[in-house]
Amino acid sequence: MDQILTNNLIDIFAVCMLLASVLAMASVRMQPLIRLFILQSLFLAAFEFTVAYSQNEPHIYIMAAMTFGIKVLLIPRMLKYIMSRIKADDEMSLSLGIPGSILLSAALIIFSYYVSEPLIITLDTAERNSLVLSFSIMLIGMLMMATRRKAISEVVGLLMVENGLFLGAIALSNGMPFIVELGAFFDVLMAMIIIGIFAFRINKSFDSVDTTLLRRLKEE
Amino acid sequence: MNYAELAIMLIQASALVMISPLIAGIIGKFKALMQNRVGASIFQPYRDLRKLIKKESVVSENASFLFRAIPLVCITSMLLLAAMTPFIYTGVLAPYADVIAMVYIFTMFRFAMVLGGLEGGSAFGGMGSSREAMMSVLIEPALLLSIMTLSAITGAGFNITDISSSIIGAGAFAISPALLLAGTSFVITMVAENTRVPFDNPDTHLELTMIHEGMLMEYSGRGLAMMEMASMLRLTIFMALLGTLFFPWGTAVTMAPLDLAVSVVVIIAKMLVIAFGIALLESTIAKMRVFRMPNMLTVSFALSLMAMISLYVL
Repeated sequence: MDQILTNNLIDIFAVCMLLASVLAMASVRMQPLIRLFILQSLFLAAFEFTVAYSQNEPHIYIMAAMTFGIKVLLIPRMLKYIMSRIKADDEMSLSLGIPGSILLSAALIIFSYYVSEPLIITLDTAERNSLVLSFSIMLIGMLMMATRRKAISEVVGLLMVENGLFLGAIALSNGMPFIVELGAFFDVLMAMIIIGIFAFRINKSFDSVDTTLLRRLKEE
Repeated sequence: MNYAELAIMLIQASALVMISPLIAGIIGKFKALMQNRVGASIFQPYRDLRKLIKKESVVSENASFLFRAIPLVCITSMLLLAAMTPFIYTGVLAPYADVIAMVYIFTMFRFAMVLGGLEGGSAFGGMGSSREAMMSVLIEPALLLSIMTLSAITGAGFNITDISSSIIGAGAFAISPALLLAGTSFVITMVAENTRVPFDNPDTHLELTMIHEGMLMEYSGRGLAMMEMASMLRLTIFMALLGTLFFPWGTAVTMAPLDLAVSVVVIIAKMLVIAFGIALLESTIAKMRVFRMPNMLTVSFALSLMAMISLYVL
C-alpha cells in the first residue's frame, strides 16, 4: 500500500473515533450510546490494524484482535446484560443539555490542540494527529462521566477514556510493552465486573442507578 | 471557452433539472421496496407535476402579489444554482460560481418559502414558517463552514470549479480527516435542509410534524407545481454537490470523450448510492421531535468546526 494512503487511513480511523465520541455526547438513549461505543472500538481495532501493517509490528496485530474480541464483542454484551438485569430505563438523565455538551466538547477539542502544540513539534507528521485526537477523546469521555447521571453512561464514558488512552499509546510509541497491554485489557475486564457489581448494589439500595442519589447520607 | 465546452455545460445544467423528479421517484421506489411494498413508478413525480400544471390555481383573498411571485423566486433561485453545480464536468455555466453565493442563494430560497407560508394567512403556514426559520438559523453556519473547509483543504479559493478540480488533482492526499468531517457535516445539513425524515416527514400532512408541507399548504395548481419542482431540484443539487465536491473522483476534468463517458457512469452510480442511503435512513430512523433538532444540527456545526480546526492546527 501507498505510504500516503496508509497515513491518511490512520488519520481517518482516529478521526472516526472522535466522531463516535461527539455523537455519543449527542445521544440521549442507552442503546445508541452502547452502539456508538461498539463503533468506536471497531475503529480503534481498524486503527491498530493499519498501524501494525504500516510499522510492521506483529504484536499490534494481536492487540487489534484483542480489542475486537474484548471491546467490540464482550464488553457491550456485559453492559447489555447489566442493563437487562437491573431493568434500567433506556432514557438517560443529563445534568447538561445536548447543545451545551456538544459545544463544550468542541471547546475541549480546541483546548487539546492548544495544549499539545508544544509536544507535536517533536513528533513526525504521521502520528501527531492521533495524539491530539487521543487527548480530545479522553477529555470528552471525562466530560461524559461528569455530566451523565446514570451509572451505565458513566461506565461508557470511562471506557471511551480508555479507548482514547490506547489510541495515544499506539500513536506515540507503537504501543506499550506487550505484557503491559495484556494487563491493561485484563484491568478493563475486571473494572467492568466490579462496576457491574456496584451497579447491582446501587440499584438494590436506591431502586435506580442515578448516581446523584449517592451523595445523600443514608440516615439523616 | 469554446462552443463544445459551452454545450457540455448546458447539457449538464439541463440534465440536472430534467432528472430531479426522477431522483425523487427513485428514492420513493427504494423506500417502498425496503418496506415490502410495490410502490409507485419512478416516473410518478413527472405525472404529478403535469397534473398540477393543468389545474387551476386558487389564491387566498388575503394574499398579496407576493403569494404569486414566490413560486417564481423559488424556481428561479434553484435554476440559478443548477447552472452553478458541476455534474458530469467540473466546469460550470455560471462564470461566478462562488460557494458563498451558493449558500446564500439557498438561504434566499428558504426566505422566500417562509414568506410564502406566512402570506396565505393560515395557521399551518405560520407554524411551518416559524419552524423553518428556526432550522434556517441552525443550518446556515454548518453549511457555510463545511463548504468553506473544502476550499481551505486545497487552498483553491471559493470558485466551485477550482475546488472540485483541485481535489481531484490532489488524489489520495486529499482523503484527509478534514474532508471526512466536512462531508459528514454536509450530509447532516443535506438531510435537514431538504426536510427529509429525521427532521421532517415529506410524506405526511400531520400538523404536529410539518415543516415543509405546512408552508406549501395554501399553494395549488401551477404555483404548487413550481414549489414542488424547486424542492426536488434542491435535493438533486445537494446530492450532486456531495458527489462532485466532497467525493469528486471520477468527474471529468478535461473535455476528452472517454473522461466524459466515465464521468457519466460514475455520477449515475454516485446518485444511486446517495439515493439508496437516503431511503435507508428514512426507513430505519424515526422522526425526531422538533425540540431535538437543534441537537443534531449542533453536532453538524461542531463537526465542520472540527474539520476547519484540524486543517489549520495540524
